[in-house]
Amino acid sequence: MIRETHRYFKFDWITIILFLLLVGFGWLNILSASHSGETVDYFNFSEPYGKQLIFILMTIGLIILILSIESKFYERFSSVIYIISMLTLVGLFVFGKNVNGATSWYAIGGMTLQPSEFAKAATALAVAKYISDLNTDINKFKDQIQVFIIIVIPAFLVLLQNDAGSTIVYAAFFFVLYREGLPKIYLVGGVALVILSLFALKFGAIATSIIAGLVIFLFHFLSKKRPTILQPILILLACIVISSGIKFFYQDVLQPHQKDRISLWLRLEKDPHKLEVMKKTFAYNLNESEKAIGSGGLTGKGFLEGTRTTGKFVPEQHTDYIFSTVGEEWGFLGSSMVILVFVLLLIRILHLAELQKSQFSRVYGYSVAAIIFMHFMINIGMVMGLIPTIGIPLPLFSYGGSGLWGFTILIFIFVKLDSNKINEW
Amino acid sequence: MVTNEKHILNRLYFTAGCMFLFCVAVVFKLVTIQFAQGDKYRAMAEQRIVKNVVIPANRGNVYSANGNLLATSIPKYDIRIDAVTPSAKTFEKYLKPLCDSLSGYLGNSSAYYQNQIRKARANKNRYHLLARNIGYSDYIRMRDFPLLNLGAYKGGLIVEQHTKREHPMGGIAQRTIGYERVDDDGNVTRPGIDGAFGVKYLRGTDGRRAKQQIGKGQWKPIADYNQIEPQDGYDVYTTIDVNIQDIAHHALLEQLEKYKADHGCVVVMETKTGEIKAISNLGRNSEGYYYERLNYAVGERQETGSTFKLMSVTAALEDKVLDTTDIVDTENGVLTFYGKKVRDSHHGGYGKITVAQAFEVSSNTGIVKAIDRAYSKNPEKFVDRLYAMNLNKKLDLPILGEPSPIIPDPRIKNGRWSGIALQWMAYGYGVSFTPLQMLTFYNAIANDGEMVKPQFLKEVREFDKTIVPFKKEVINPHICSKETIAKVQQLLKNVVEQKHGTGHRLYSKNFSMAGKTGTCQKNYAKKDKLSYISSFAGYFPADNPKYSCIVVIHEPDKSVGYYGADVSGPVFKKIAQKIFTDTPIIDEVESLDVDRKSTDQEFEAFYDIAKTYKTIMPSVVGLPTMDAVSLLENMGLKVKMNGVGIVKRQSIEQGEKIKKNQTIVLDVS
Repeated sequence: MIRETHRYFKFDWITIILFLLLVGFGWLNILSASHSGETVDYFNFSEPYGKQLIFILMTIGLIILILSIESKFYERFSSVIYIISMLTLVGLFVFGKNVNGATSWYAIGGMTLQPSEFAKAATALAVAKYISDLNTDINKFKDQIQVFIIIVIPAFLVLLQNDAGSTIVYAAFFFVLYREGLPKIYLVGGVALVILSLFALKFGAIATSIIAGLVIFLFHFLSKKRPTILQPILILLACIVISSGIKFFYQDVLQPHQKDRISLWLRLEKDPHKLEVMKKTFAYNLNESEKAIGSGGLTGKGFLEGTRTTGKFVPEQHTDYIFSTVGEEWGFLGSSMVILVFVLLLIRILHLAELQKSQFSRVYGYSVAAIIFMHFMINIGMVMGLIPTIGIPLPLFSYGGSGLWGFTILIFIFVKLDSNKINEW
Repeated sequence: MVTNEKHILNRLYFTAGCMFLFCVAVVFKLVTIQFAQGDKYRAMAEQRIVKNVVIPANRGNVYSANGNLLATSIPKYDIRIDAVTPSAKTFEKYLKPLCDSLSGYLGNSSAYYQNQIRKARANKNRYHLLARNIGYSDYIRMRDFPLLNLGAYKGGLIVEQHTKREHPMGGIAQRTIGYERVDDDGNVTRPGIDGAFGVKYLRGTDGRRAKQQIGKGQWKPIADYNQIEPQDGYDVYTTIDVNIQDIAHHALLEQLEKYKADHGCVVVMETKTGEIKAISNLGRNSEGYYYERLNYAVGERQETGSTFKLMSVTAALEDKVLDTTDIVDTENGVLTFYGKKVRDSHHGGYGKITVAQAFEVSSNTGIVKAIDRAYSKNPEKFVDRLYAMNLNKKLDLPILGEPSPIIPDPRIKNGRWSGIALQWMAYGYGVSFTPLQMLTFYNAIANDGEMVKPQFLKEVREFDKTIVPFKKEVINPHICSKETIAKVQQLLKNVVEQKHGTGHRLYSKNFSMAGKTGTCQKNYAKKDKLSYISSFAGYFPADNPKYSCIVVIHEPDKSVGYYGADVSGPVFKKIAQKIFTDTPIIDEVESLDVDRKSTDQEFEAFYDIAKTYKTIMPSVVGLPTMDAVSLLENMGLKVKMNGVGIVKRQSIEQGEKIKKNQTIVLDVS
């Protein structure tokens, strides 16, 4: 009997409660963003809020299923799960349904499934499995390449389906690898590359090269052990090549809408009139979303009272732009609460991950936190104009069955792994 | 191992720190949006949910002088179908009946429409056109077709209403009635009256109504009144007389077709008021059909040829440097000035003739010689006289596109003046006018010297209330003296009436006309391209003129004919004739007190009998039947008659006593 009670309470209820808070509050906002009349019919399944309610109810079954499976299953079958997941992604090229220009869905009956939402959990399992392998040493170049391949395959498949947003999410694994001892050079290099690219786009290749040169030699002369002068010169040369090349990447590789978004974000367009036009055309969503959030004020306009929300001014508001509903109807306080709950969830998962005894569980936990954080950062950043528009949903919050189930699986596998840590001794 | 632990912990902190930094950035941005810029966004949010909906004002109509509709706005409909909206079941069920209906209504086969709509559905076309520019009653019928009658959400019916300007009289005077058109670039073209008075009177003021968005695609009026009420445009009544316009249009058309001319125009003007009763401008399209192409009468400035001789002679008579009885020698029909030759159309000239005769036969040499003699020492005087007769001024018409006349002036250095300018001007070369400018001068001669401005508008009305009346505008009350007028009126009359006059072919003894022919060479600089402008300007009737009229026909086929009297004259005559016969002639009875002896005698005879006999039968033999019957019936008899005419015999003899209701039989023949 005591054993039974113990079994229930060994799940981390804080994580579960935070999860439920986000899903519940998310649904209220989906309701607000998608209801169209005076009366709300909760089981009107032709409306997004009605459908989402079913998805949420189905999640309960999913959770029970995940928690009842033996936790060793996940570790042992991670490779199989990963391979199946990759196959579903490949299958999209044959059987996929095109929605809004992205071929990311399987149509099954009246429902659509988006396998890329489940691929994240599968990749997390595979990465965790690979790193926790006793033969793996992340400091070895060969192993680094192999783990990169595990990550890049789904990222690349998703990119081919024209879903660039989801590809970027796989960058989350950088944090995980970093935590597990990936040499610093990757992180420094990655961050430097991003900063360099943005600088080069904004200020031009020459100015960027000069600044980069100054920084590199400053570091060189300040550092205690000065090996050779050759190293900084090579780095500088690389910087010059990259900053000159980024223009071609921007011009020729990126698609027009991606160029426009970056151009607006970096304010590459100087003419204020054209800027206004840009805001009204391709940045229409962002502009409307900022207006909705901005009109919310401290406490917001109240549930179902947001004029921008009920007026359906913000396109895709119940999916990617759901946070603008929070901003308008619940104001600064509501938005801050949502951010706080996300932060608490992330901290809780990171904390639990650190407590894991097995490296597999720990790496998996880190992956969960990193993926959620990446989604959270990109989505919130996009909705508020902090970063260029990249269409991915807000975890647990946005409308969509696949997304909700994907994150549910991601989180609850970790909850299951965590509940089993006592047995790892 | 301790260092390793610390190392790991550092990495954890770094990772967490990055996340934390981002959250700080998010909260910072949130504060910026909701507080620092909150007012701005709130204002924007409010502003965007309310929009001002324009309620278009109805454009006013254009009427003719007698109230016929010339231009009006009517609603037209485009019917489209959203081929995706109907469900598969509905679509299949109603497609055939719909296409059958369409086929019966629009003409093409039912299969054709089925094919089209199926293709549209396959291509996910949500905006497939079924019918364009149909009228209201057609729209009402199509709305009830199968599938379409399910409405927008189930049947996919899309109706777009727009207003179209229609000209109920068709192509007649279209260029003068005009239109206002805005192209895709926002450029406005405004020919004619509709264009000229569009902004001022016809257009009206659009209304506005504020609406608030209450849901996607749903707009609710904020108040139950309009913020700005739409003010419909006023109606414009033109001076155009539809009957005269019709005559002018067809007369011109017939002549253009006969002579295969490039284009031509005719204007009829009421002499006293300057009202334009008809204006027709026909040009040929590439297929050889004529239509209202450009407003030649208002906008085409050309050298005039012989019709300008009226101006030359009027000027010289007014300056008293010439008289109609002066003799000029036309020599052999050729005059040479600085090596350039003036020729008469009559080969060999006319010998020695009076100025009047020179005008009537339209002798170029005669008129040129007379003007040269009068003014060659002082050409400025001639030009000044033309100026004094307001020939150098634009008419300042409301219709756009009128150019200024050209009169060479020795005092202005623009290259127009030369050693032969005066002589060439005398017979209408080097000077350029529009047909309407020419007509205005001819009308002034007809109107005894009072030059009035051509009027296109009678009044502007709102229902039956006159908003703006248009009155006769006098440009110059006396362009020249009464004597000069009398002399030139006689000249113009002689052109038609005298046997030798160039217009004598038009002469009719039934009605009188006066005018001047003109046959002007066009493109004379290049021999191979030489063509003619045939014109006739004048007025009718010759005494107390009511209308003046000008006919100008460009580039008639030379092989058919090109003289003004042949090409343009008949149009003028036809108009004059038709107006003459269509205008009721009021025969005034001079005096009502004329003695009519025979009638009086008959009456006396009747009266004598009537007062004498009451109960004794009189003799009615010899009386007209009508008188006999009235007499007898007044006495109480019933009358029966055989025949018609004068009474020959009566059944009751004279002197017999008569009773009431007795029947009498009269034999009449």
